Amino acid sequence: MLLLAPTALALGALTVYPGAWVLWLSLQHRIPIFGVARFAGLDNFTFLSVDARFWSAAHTTAVFTVASVALEVVLGVGAALAIHTQRRGRAVALSFLLLAWAMPAVVAAKLFEWLYHPVAGLINVALGRHALNWLGDPAIALAAVTLADVWRTMPFVAILCYARLLAIPADLYEAAQVDGAGRLATLTRITLPLLGRILLLAVLFRTLDALRAFDIMFVLTGGGPANTTETLTVYAYRALFQTLQLGFGSALSVVVFALVMVVAWAYLRLLRAGSVAA
Amino acid sequence: MSAWGYGATQLIGVLVLLAGCAGSPGEGEPVTLVFKYARILGNADPLPTLLREFEAQHPGVRVKGEAMPWTSDDQHQFYVINLEGRSPGFDVLMLDCIWTPEFARAGWLLDLTPYLQPGELAPFFPSTVASATYDHRVWALPWNMNVGLLFYRTDLLAKYGLQPPDTYEALVEQARLIRGRERDPALDGYLWQGKQYEGLVVNVLEALWANGAPLITDDGAVFPEPARAADALRFLRGLITSGVSPTWTTAADEELSRRAFGDGHAIFLRNWPYARDLFESEGSAVRDKVAFTAIPGRARGEPGAGSTGGAHLGVSRRSRHPELAVALARHLTSERAQRAIALGAALSPSRQALYHDPELVRRNPAMPRLHALALAGRPRPITPYYLLVSATVQPEFSAALVGVKPPERAIDDARARLGHFLGALR
Repeated sequence: MLLLAPTALALGALTVYPGAWVLWLSLQHRIPIFGVARFAGLDNFTFLSVDARFWSAAHTTAVFTVASVALEVVLGVGAALAIHTQRRGRAVALSFLLLAWAMPAVVAAKLFEWLYHPVAGLINVALGRHALNWLGDPAIALAAVTLADVWRTMPFVAILCYARLLAIPADLYEAAQVDGAGRLATLTRITLPLLGRILLLAVLFRTLDALRAFDIMFVLTGGGPANTTETLTVYAYRALFQTLQLGFGSALSVVVFALVMVVAWAYLRLLRAGSVAA
Repeated sequence: MSAWGYGATQLIGVLVLLAGCAGSPGEGEPVTLVFKYARILGNADPLPTLLREFEAQHPGVRVKGEAMPWTSDDQHQFYVINLEGRSPGFDVLMLDCIWTPEFARAGWLLDLTPYLQPGELAPFFPSTVASATYDHRVWALPWNMNVGLLFYRTDLLAKYGLQPPDTYEALVEQARLIRGRERDPALDGYLWQGKQYEGLVVNVLEALWANGAPLITDDGAVFPEPARAADALRFLRGLITSGVSPTWTTAADEELSRRAFGDGHAIFLRNWPYARDLFESEGSAVRDKVAFTAIPGRARGEPGAGSTGGAHLGVSRRSRHPELAVALARHLTSERAQRAIALGAALSPSRQALYHDPELVRRNPAMPRLHALALAGRPRPITPYYLLVSATVQPEFSAALVGVKPPERAIDDARARLGHFLGALR
């Protein structure tokens, strides 16, 4: 019991106390700099339930999460397989991947700001007459932001998968060859199933990150145009740090927190079910 | 007395002693003032020299200039976190004029009114003094001035015998005529800032004012003229749909539009005075081909006015050396200091006389003209809730510009949301 005390203390001070405080704030109208501090009950949450901006942000967060994680998995597995089959230059390929991943989100966002530049950007220059209004068109701005995020985070999935691929014993493939399995069969029957658990883990991390995505859209579009790229965390930031509505902003944070918890719980159940089956 | 009681008394004694030391520096003890500011762009940063000057005039005082994050959002966040805590760690702070009422209302700024001599603020632009004033008290000294301007290509207008437009309608007409005759697909008509950010609010405000539609009145009424406000938004949207402004206007900020115009790809541009220095710099594609005039009005509306902006210098209310901090703010906003800043960097002075200063006019012959336009400029709504108002209307304005909401609905939604949030403040 005594040995657990430091952990309990650290958890209590760093997680439970601030968490409880945010929950308490979310039940108030609280704007300290203007002297507003009164109990609001569930007012903030009732407002959120009919707040079009909140639902739009929730929708954007969901679309962004599903699209970016799906693309990251497909591209990440592809990249890992490509590097694995490569005979030379693996180290170089890996370092390039790591470079993208190690780049701070804000720097990556600045980079893409130039790529998406409507007049002088590399992409639009290449497109010529078919140039697109990447960050100013509500129909494609979210896709543009998602692609930028995928570029930066796909290496995380790729490297995890690559590490797993290295650990697959060569005799498995030899046995498959002896049994006359083709390339496709080897991929779908051996490689991908063996990648399953590590992929689930990668997807868990990436999903939790994507649900809290902030920097990339904050720098690239500021949430616009017409809020089409505003995620829940960007909305919460605006409420908390720009307009200083601590109560309302905390209510938004509580929703994000609940969302992350539910998703994490669901994944962990999946992981556990997977380990029992294996 | 118990051991604990004795210890506590001793501790309190030490604390009192310490507090005494901190409160009143003895003779000869060095005092350090901390000045928070954002680095000034330009060929020569004049600030270090100005700070050393102040130290020379005040023996025993050291001034430490501390740079702040770049973007306005980050600066605001920095102040909110540091000023709401106990000790801010700085004495004099540079602040965006739109924050002054908010910081004053929050009790973070020292009331400068008692320190001011009668008439001390008379040489400044009235609109910047207004934005430094809240509740009939002065909370900051104006440091530099900004005003929205309409830049135009003198060569293209002269080629077709046109005068710079004074209404938006004339601007549209001229853009159509010139583009039709020039037959250059890379030449855009009118560039402005339509990205979802503070700059969008500034652009829309100018269109609203030209249409006689305030955003918020002094008594707190939001969009008292909703039909006129919607009409202004519809006009801006029309600029994009009709091709007078490029489609990417909805992603454009100051720099994006400034660069395109600076590369010679547009006839008109709405921007701030800093752009002129860059257009006239060596190697610029539009050197000697650019002039500026007032933001246009509407044909049957009010004459145009540019939105004003700029930075103020305030003093933290928790500064331990308020007298010295006020002296530093006064030194940095003095005519001498502002002349040095205007010469070394692309910032316009907040003191009117400098716009006719021979040295400055020689460097920038457009100064007297800029003076007239800055004098006619209008500040954004002066309210402690400005950021709340701005953050609430930004997505609605953006939605109207990109066409996902009819202008009337965007205005209605903005009114409803502002009503809700401002209501919670009362």
